[in-house]
Amino acid sequence: MDLGNLQRGYIDYISALFHEMEKGFLDSQFTQLQQLQDESNPEFVLEVATLFFEDSEKLLNELSRTLDQQAVDFKKVDAHVHQLKGSSSRIISNSIGAQRVKNVCIAFRDICEETNKEGCLRCLQQVKQEFYLVKSKLETLFRVW
Amino acid sequence: MAALAISSCGRRALLVDDNVINRMVVRKLVEEQGIALEEAENGKEAVELVKEGRVFDLILMDREMPVMDGPQATKQLRSLGVTTPIVALSADAMQSDKDSFLQAGADDFVEKPLSVDKFALVLTKYGLQDGQAADQ
Repeated sequence: MDLGNLQRGYIDYISALFHEMEKGFLDSQFTQLQQLQDESNPEFVLEVATLFFEDSEKLLNELSRTLDQQAVDFKKVDAHVHQLKGSSSRIISNSIGAQRVKNVCIAFRDICEETNKEGCLRCLQQVKQEFYLVKSKLETLFRVW
Repeated sequence: MAALAISSCGRRALLVDDNVINRMVVRKLVEEQGIALEEAENGKEAVELVKEGRVFDLILMDREMPVMDGPQATKQLRSLGVTTPIVALSADAMQSDKDSFLQAGADDFVEKPLSVDKFALVLTKYGLQDGQAADQ
């Protein structure tokens, strides 16, 4: 594949992803991250994304473990979801522009406050689904990048 | 945990945030401005840094953190006589949360995420764009 085709493919893919912004897959925060990438740190976005993936998977595993207990520690669940929301929301700090993950986390925290275990388990499934969707899209993006 | 990045410009900032992704991105943002950055994972660590004698020109304080949250840490820092500008950072905060943070002694409240533009405004507001450190 020549460079021209590769660049066109990348541009088309980015455009498609940002069109999907209306459906909430990525948001403008991802662009903010790109602004911070420069010659001195040419892989900054990839590094943030990698850390987001690793940190989020750890949190999701912790959430599964915590919700698997007989007596669920809802404060712990809430703390983990808070972390996941923070990472997904975009950092400057925020992170990766995973708006849909953030939205599910907001709902998750409300359910957590009600100490509703079944509800939390459903939210966990949903947040895992959204997270792996974002992860898959971003991994594809970085392969093309 | 505290990490120090050395800079030649003399400006020093403290970032207090429990989220590792947030710290990574803010670190980049701050370092791009040539500002030395220390980091604390929660309010208690931030207070301990100050008790050890660290001096900062700007403190960026997250609201919700384990061990000690932003408003509590801000209150303690002010009671220690810290006059450094403290900018509260939070996402989706209600007005009452913002008010309590400001009442605790924060100078300003900025909605997360902290963007390049928002950070530039903060630096300008607290006289840190020209590289001159504020007296404490």
